[in-house]
Amino acid sequence: MDICIIGVGNILMQDEGIGPKIAEILRKNYTFEPNIEIIDGGTLGLDLLPYIEKYKKIIIIDVVDFGKEPGFIKILRGEEIPPYLKTKLSVHHVGVQDLLEVARLMGYMPEELVLAGIQPESIDLGLDLSPTMVGKLNELIEEILKILNNWGIKCVLQSLQE
Amino acid sequence: MARLVIDPVTRIEGHLRCEAVVADGKVKDAYSSCTMWRGIEVIMKGRDPREAWVFVQRLCGVCTTVHAIASIRAVEDALKIKVPRNADLIRNLIMANQCVQDHVIHFYHLHALDWVDVVSALKADPAKTSELAKTISPWPNNSTTYFKAVQDKLKAFVERGQLGIFSNGYWGHPAYNLPPEANLMAVAHYLEALDWQKEVIKMMAMLGAKNPHPQTFLVGGMAIPIDPESQNAINAGTIAALNKYADMAIEFVEKVYIPDLLAVASFYKDWAKYGGNVNFLACGEYPEANGKMWLPAGIIKNKNLKEIYPVDHKKIQEYITRSYYKYSKGENAGLHPWDGETTPNYTGPKPPYEYLNVDGKYSWGKAPRYEDLPMEVGPLARVLVAYASGHKEVKEAVDMVMKKLGVGPEALFSTLGRTAARGIIALVTAYKTKDFINELAANIKKGDYTIANTEKWDPKTWPAEAKGMGWHDAPRGALSHYIVIKNKKIENYQMVVPSTWNLSPRDNKGVRGPVEEALVNTPVADSKQPLELLRTIHSFDPCMACGMHIVEVKEE
Repeated sequence: MDICIIGVGNILMQDEGIGPKIAEILRKNYTFEPNIEIIDGGTLGLDLLPYIEKYKKIIIIDVVDFGKEPGFIKILRGEEIPPYLKTKLSVHHVGVQDLLEVARLMGYMPEELVLAGIQPESIDLGLDLSPTMVGKLNELIEEILKILNNWGIKCVLQSLQE
Repeated sequence: MARLVIDPVTRIEGHLRCEAVVADGKVKDAYSSCTMWRGIEVIMKGRDPREAWVFVQRLCGVCTTVHAIASIRAVEDALKIKVPRNADLIRNLIMANQCVQDHVIHFYHLHALDWVDVVSALKADPAKTSELAKTISPWPNNSTTYFKAVQDKLKAFVERGQLGIFSNGYWGHPAYNLPPEANLMAVAHYLEALDWQKEVIKMMAMLGAKNPHPQTFLVGGMAIPIDPESQNAINAGTIAALNKYADMAIEFVEKVYIPDLLAVASFYKDWAKYGGNVNFLACGEYPEANGKMWLPAGIIKNKNLKEIYPVDHKKIQEYITRSYYKYSKGENAGLHPWDGETTPNYTGPKPPYEYLNVDGKYSWGKAPRYEDLPMEVGPLARVLVAYASGHKEVKEAVDMVMKKLGVGPEALFSTLGRTAARGIIALVTAYKTKDFINELAANIKKGDYTIANTEKWDPKTWPAEAKGMGWHDAPRGALSHYIVIKNKKIENYQMVVPSTWNLSPRDNKGVRGPVEEALVNTPVADSKQPLELLRTIHSFDPCMACGMHIVEVKEE
């Protein structure tokens, strides 16, 4: 196993929770050949360092402020990532930015790092995603599956399996 | 007169802003304003009390297990559940592991850069650095070649213009006193601490089945089985691994953290004069087999170490006179958290604003008071209460640190004392971790595999109404959760977090909160770069100290 997906964010703040939610959907509904690691990264930064060090290819899923309309999805790779973390949406962003800077300083960076980001609609307190996010879930998941396919991972939806 | 504003980058949940009035190179007055989690009770109301911990541990991006612990204790208190010893031991290991890791991370990655000038490290002589390192510790990474390699790495980092984690510093500030070699040594250990922490937290992942956000907490005990015959339970292999991580923690704290702390502190002894407080609250932690707490609970009033008062949570009240809330009983009422109300009433200036209205309401944090006194919570409170109670290990560690620095216990009441106390707690807790592991191993040997008391798991066994509270002396200080259960569901849920105590605004009588009080009389060499204020603010390890920067400084 050298591929890892980390969904980060705070599930108590509506759209902030989309990272962990997608991680959960992928874990429940899909099988991967060869297998990959899926992490609910929650709200912690430096505690994720062991994963960043361990895996060769990593996808981080998070809400990002692209300055676009809610639901806007963009896939960022490697050097494209840091500028987008400059605008912090919430507390945990401190963590992701620090995490990547520390990983770089320590020489832990993976061969490939991808940030699958989506523009949130609402990050107030609440357990449910906004309707816009719910409507975009599948599109974001498709983007992630595409990246995995390019990395040679076969992704199978569980319900299609006999 | 200048009015300084220190404000984080983000304007969203969980940030801290400090305003200070400076005249003649000193802070005359200070105001701390923070946001807090408003409406957690809204999310919790109507839920099953047994799952409260799952939600509350997702509250904060800094410390998570602490809320899980306080939450299950609150529910266990409400339902009068006594947990088995093994569950307490596993919880103790999780808490101790988090405490040691948290204090080391805080010292190196949040606080050290207030004392250590990273850029000055580039000018250090690696050979002299090696000599210095050898005089203070037997830690093996101390060769000239090693420090040269660290320096080269740092140079490459700076030359690429990617200061990254070091980008928010006041490098070259006149208040930095360390010679370049000490700065280089500290930077080397900053990097080593990062490496160390990612190994040492594996203890938490083993006992919590997952990190971040462990999953093995349970009202009534723990949900991680003990079975010497099973691969997927706590067995002899687990005990061996726990010992490995515990030893790793001890070694680093003993040979790196404490020597560095003493070396750095020796250049900043004047900080024993600034940043102090007079009232302290420690809620006690690490239940022992005899039912007592290993680190005692206690209240200190007005610096008097001769008299330690017991802690009674019923004496806590929260005021909103200067906070953005309304109480049904009026502006000057104080409410116990069981009767807590959270009705927002924002009367502050419309953002973007220049200054807070410090004559009126100015913070989203309430002002918690104990018998109407503000209380400092955290490592210093823990150390003072233990020291004054004659706690053997703490007393030995305090005396050792004081002796090496050539200061008396009076120096504890300061920013320097607070920073030293964090190291002292990390040291004694790292040692104590071994005792918890040995006790757990001995229980397993005896055939005691009990990890949960499930007598009250079924809601049918609960009373129609119950109230409970849970204390946890978390790394940042005393944390308390309050629950009211009605018809098997959560009726009210309130929390008083350590930063609420420390960063509290003024109360109904106009008395300053602990950080506000600590900032008064701090010297400020350059009002455009108030490094000195950050030293005291960071010494409290406020939850959101990460992203603070200066917005503007206006001379009035």
